[in-house]
Amino acid sequence: MSEILTVTDLKKVYGKGGSLTRALDGVSLSLEAGAFVGVMGPSGSGKTTLLNCVSTIDRPSAGSIVIDGRELTRLKGGELSKFRRERLGFIFQDCNLLDTLTAYENIALSLSILRAPAHKIDKRVREMAEFLGIADCLDKYPYQMSGGQQQRCAAARAMVTRPALVLADEPTGALDSKSSQLLLDRLDELNRELGATILMVTHDAFTASCCRRVVFLRDGRLFLELHRGTDSRKDFFQKIIRVVTKMGGGMADVL
Amino acid sequence: MFSKLALRNVRRSFRDYGVYLLTLTFGVCLFYTFNSLDGQGALVYLAQNGNPIVDAITMLMDIFSVFVAVVLACLILYANRFLLRRRKRELGTYLLLGLSQGQVSRLLFLETGLIGAVSLVAGLVLGVLTSFGMSALTLSLFEMDVSAMLAVNFSPRAAGKTVLYFGIIFLLVMALSGVQVSRSRLIDLIHAERKNEVLKPRPLGVAVFQFMLGVVCLAAAYAILLLFGMALAVAVPFLCFPMLGLGTAGTLLVFRSLSGFVMKFVQGHPGLYFKNLNVFTLRQWISKVHTTYLTQTVVCILLLLAIGITASSLGLNSTLSAMTDQEAPFDITVQNRSADHSGAVDFDALLREGGFDPDRELSGQVDFCAYYNDPAITGIEDVSGVLALSDMNALLALQGKTPVTLTSGETLLLDTWGDGLVTGSLGLSAAVVEDETARQLEVRRQYWSANYAGDKMQTEERLLQLIQPLQLEKQIRVESRLSIYADMMGNKILALFLGLYLGFTFLLAAAAVLALQQLSQGADNTGRYAILRRLGAQEGQIKKSATQQVALAFLLPLILALLHSAVGMKAANDIILAVGKVDSVASSLITAGIILVVYGGYFLATALACRRMAKNA
Repeated sequence: MSEILTVTDLKKVYGKGGSLTRALDGVSLSLEAGAFVGVMGPSGSGKTTLLNCVSTIDRPSAGSIVIDGRELTRLKGGELSKFRRERLGFIFQDCNLLDTLTAYENIALSLSILRAPAHKIDKRVREMAEFLGIADCLDKYPYQMSGGQQQRCAAARAMVTRPALVLADEPTGALDSKSSQLLLDRLDELNRELGATILMVTHDAFTASCCRRVVFLRDGRLFLELHRGTDSRKDFFQKIIRVVTKMGGGMADVL
Repeated sequence: MFSKLALRNVRRSFRDYGVYLLTLTFGVCLFYTFNSLDGQGALVYLAQNGNPIVDAITMLMDIFSVFVAVVLACLILYANRFLLRRRKRELGTYLLLGLSQGQVSRLLFLETGLIGAVSLVAGLVLGVLTSFGMSALTLSLFEMDVSAMLAVNFSPRAAGKTVLYFGIIFLLVMALSGVQVSRSRLIDLIHAERKNEVLKPRPLGVAVFQFMLGVVCLAAAYAILLLFGMALAVAVPFLCFPMLGLGTAGTLLVFRSLSGFVMKFVQGHPGLYFKNLNVFTLRQWISKVHTTYLTQTVVCILLLLAIGITASSLGLNSTLSAMTDQEAPFDITVQNRSADHSGAVDFDALLREGGFDPDRELSGQVDFCAYYNDPAITGIEDVSGVLALSDMNALLALQGKTPVTLTSGETLLLDTWGDGLVTGSLGLSAAVVEDETARQLEVRRQYWSANYAGDKMQTEERLLQLIQPLQLEKQIRVESRLSIYADMMGNKILALFLGLYLGFTFLLAAAAVLALQQLSQGADNTGRYAILRRLGAQEGQIKKSATQQVALAFLLPLILALLHSAVGMKAANDIILAVGKVDSVASSLITAGIILVVYGGYFLATALACRRMAKNA
């Protein structure tokens, strides 16, 4: 299978002079098309920094990131935003919907930004909304929807442009268990049926257990990698929990 | 310690304070300029000539200054309250760190004082420069050379008055911010950032209906004004109040519903709806409507007042100018009202005797007599004087007008009092008859009119010296263009000054209110711009959207105010036309220029600041 994302020896250093913080200290990772990969690790392990670098929001200090055959570190300002809108989709913890726009408009806006032809936008928005089960609240504003609906709306916004890679940062972080499950089911289905490639950062072992592969970060380095293979979700969850326990005290604050 | 913190705060929040400081400085400058009028060249000149209008101008300026001070005080209090709201979080942090409310009040006290002092000094310096400009402007209205009166002038009286008035305003601001801090609770200050503005979904259909209703209201108000005319529509209460009520309600409804109406329209056109960030910009506009439509209505009315007052004062000015020309066709006219007892005076000989050479120093003269009317000879009743046809044509010839002709036995009745025939007026209701008829009548008054060739003021002075001795034995009346101008000048300057003063005050208030509101919304929008950027929107698009939002807020009230004043000016012109000629194109252009500079300046400053906020989001 072709590789969508290849991260090689990625380093990110914050600060200057004597007080350097190595947020990423040589991380290498690769995702094939259609992968669903979770990234776990304690606070300060570099998860968010990794995601920020891959999502072109931040620039790495060293190393290379190749997405869909393009070297990110060589892209300039205008190319970066073009790349971001054409190849990447984002889902955030606080879903980041625009509060002044309806759900429909929030989803349509990412297509507008992409300059998609106007007559196709309506159909694509409705299809994606149908798929994520939010077709009946398209005319509502974000504050009129439940947290789960908002997050699925954010997912629809991320997926509607058919990006090469979807980046999710703690998508279930602010949801109750039922809404979490609903969202994860949808993400899983998007991954299986539409072949979306998803990179998801999470604290939560249960959330991570629906991925096909989980990588663990610690102090800016790759600590361990787990493949689900043919395991049931329950078995995979047990494996993840064991790793989390093994990683020790650093993880205590998140469980 | 406190003064250091206050200084740092002012310097740090200079971007927020920028518009505030600008408004204060302009306010001080405006106030000083119009209060220092009595020291300016034009008024000094008029005062030297003993023109009574000078006292009237000074007094009116004093009265209106109180009014302007109240408007500016409201504006400054509004701006200050707005700035405090933006800084609630910061003030909360001070309290959390253990400063007492008294100490925080003292901090604000110092900051306000500092800002006040800076703007007072800057405003006064600017005011001295502006009053020089004003002086040059008013002196240029004189149709004689008075450039000697132009000088940079500092009026301690006006400066003192400005410091006093603004000192009181600043004290008021300080006191109110202190009260506001002492009354607010810490929890509210700390959580001030959390937005609790609830957006209620309003069906777009309602907006469409409201918009239609608003347009109908406006059309009805316009119809009343245009059908009945300005004079009637303003004077008759049961025309005036419905008109003003409908106009205000219409404006309010349009501002309240226009965004929804446009949205409804755009939704029907996917090509527009899905283009660039149009959806975002439109929704931003709609979401702000319920906090802004009242302000926009007030701003629209303020703009209307500013445009109306400035334009009509400038228009009146040119009307007065035209009237002066009409009243003074010659540089001088001397009436000898004793001609019936003691006969006509030979002015030409009198001047030559006194060493005055009429051939060289005058560019033309006409000497004629008006006669007593005798109905038995002329066949005309009800006139008090009669002119011979040849005299009349000599007058017209010197004015460069076409002569009149009379067929045998025909007579011509002149306008009441014979305005515009000689400088001043004939002072008689007169008719023109053929020369043979006129010669049979008895002489009533002699009129000698002349135009000067050389320097007007010197020539007039010498002429008057020679003519004045006549007044001892005869009843002589002298009217000169220069003296009529001096009278008119006073009225002109009064109209111009009052118009500019009030017009500028309203314009400043309108622009500042809008600017502050837009800046605050721009700050609220930074989070949304950050989301757009993450979605991959281009810098250019985001900045464009920010500019469009500011432009909507500034342009809509302006467009509606222009529409209102166009209708108003149309109605007003009908009145002015009845009085005299009015140069409404020129005055409208000048008004447009003034508005463009002040309002456009505020718009640019706001748009740039909002773009910067969007960029740094």
